[in-house]
Amino acid sequence: MIQEAQQLRIKGIRDGLLITTSSEGSFAELCAQLRAELQQKGAFFQGSRVALQVEARPLNKAQILQLQRLFIEYNLELWAILADNAETRTIARDLDLAIRLAGSQTDLDGNVLAHLPESSGNGHAPAHQQSDAQVLMLRETLRSGRSILHDGHVVIMGDVNAGAEIIAGGDVLVWGRLRGLVHAGAMGDDTAVICALDLNPTQLRIADQIAIAPHEAGRTPYPEQASIKNGQIIAERWKSGN
Amino acid sequence: MSGKVITVTSGKGGVGKTTVTANLATALAMRGRKVVALDADIGLRNLDIVLGLENRIVYDLVDVVEGRCRLRQAMIKDKRHQELYLIPAAQTRDKSAVSPSDMVLVCNELRQEMDYIIIDSPAGIERGFRNAIAATDHVLIVTNPEVSAVRDADRIIGLIEAEEKGPACLIVNRVKPAMVSRGEMLSIEDIIDILAIQLVGVIPEDEHILIGSNQGTPVAMNGSNGASASQAFRNIAGRLEGEDVPFMELKAKISFLDRLSSLFN
Ligand SMILES: Nc1ncnc2c1ncn2[C@@H]1O[C@H](COP(=O)(O)OP(=O)(O)O)[C@@H](O)[C@H]1O
Ligand SMILES: [Mg+2]
Repeated sequence: MIQEAQQLRIKGIRDGLLITTSSEGSFAELCAQLRAELQQKGAFFQGSRVALQVEARPLNKAQILQLQRLFIEYNLELWAILADNAETRTIARDLDLAIRLAGSQTDLDGNVLAHLPESSGNGHAPAHQQSDAQVLMLRETLRSGRSILHDGHVVIMGDVNAGAEIIAGGDVLVWGRLRGLVHAGAMGDDTAVICALDLNPTQLRIADQIAIAPHEAGRTPYPEQASIKNGQIIAERWKSGN
Repeated sequence: MSGKVITVTSGKGGVGKTTVTANLATALAMRGRKVVALDADIGLRNLDIVLGLENRIVYDLVDVVEGRCRLRQAMIKDKRHQELYLIPAAQTRDKSAVSPSDMVLVCNELRQEMDYIIIDSPAGIERGFRNAIAATDHVLIVTNPEVSAVRDADRIIGLIEAEEKGPACLIVNRVKPAMVSRGEMLSIEDIIDILAIQLVGVIPEDEHILIGSNQGTPVAMNGSNGASASQAFRNIAGRLEGEDVPFMELKAKISFLDRLSSLFN
């Protein structure tokens, strides 16, 4: 078991999840490992996009399709295959999968695959987010379609636009306008909080509670904090010393 | 010579990408530039129709990529202008017939001879979109004053930033000044506030656009005979060439509060 855990690394990146696999072992073993991992953490990952790093392992078309189906089973979308093997990259590209991550040092065909960025954003995220809750800090605006998944706290210095989402195991702090969807305490922590300079989300979730914020027309924005009080999500104006 | 590759894209379909591509290409050609309009909407081509060149197609982009003809042979000359060409898309193939690296090769060749390569994109964020931005120097995002169109534009801008093809510029099309002043439509300020990118053009709703598209005569060709969209396109062409063209006056201002309340009702 310990051996397997080391062969599969999962972490949140700017485009969703990056799953790094080892090129050792058979394809069937790889599928079994993925399945075990997804079974365990599937609910937390739900709906994410997955980039799969297969390193030197060659994959044929049937195997890639099989992986695609495996992820679909767990409600995940495989969008990229990162491979050292040129043939594997060609096959992946023909299946309309991406073969590089944005910002990595590769050409359009995915040649010269540089070392993968260890984390998203500005490199503040820990390599092993699975261990203990740490802070992922991004200094950028999250536009529609972006999904940030992190099992610790998340800090965004910028706006979170409608259509973007953050799913965090811990608290979420938005130093900007929050107009998208945020789920704090996604693994069940009902003491998690969500703060924003302008809290105007499409939807807020804390642990297993869901709230839809009323749109207050024409109000002047002020910092607010949302938390669960008496079994319900409520938002309160931020007061120093809160 | 090294021409500039400009991609016109949107995310949402039907917002006016093809219209903008045809008119910008025309307006730039009218300024004496060497321009090629390239239709990257494989399988759903219609830039040829809007430019009135449909019946002259022999070869298309896929023929070039697959080596059935030379690039020059696929460039249809628009005889109404000194130097305006169209490279049509294939109608009977799908997006996978062209790859991003094919687009880089084709555009690099075009850059040698042309001042501008204007690429019309398909709707969506899949392969066709990646083809359309593969070789681009400059992306123009077209949106309408509509919440869903702006949401899709936001998504596309994010993808362009992630691909390091930014910063993109914005064209807001189909603005109805009367509706904006009544607070029934998102205003330009609302849209800029959400998307936070540079505005290069505002095009009013104008029936001449539809008439022109059906006749294969882009409105940008109309002189000063009243078509306000015509002027808007020529203004964008000027701005792309670095001129400081003021934006056309678009009717009465209303208070921020009125706009917000109408937005959320
Ligand atoms: N400013 C405008 N005023 C009136 N009609 C417009 C305007 N812009 C586009 N249209 C019409 O909207 C339709 C869709 O435009 P098109 O350029 O084909 O969009 P896209 O290429 O993004 O799918 C066409 O019928 C076109 O004539
Ligand atoms: Mg079109």
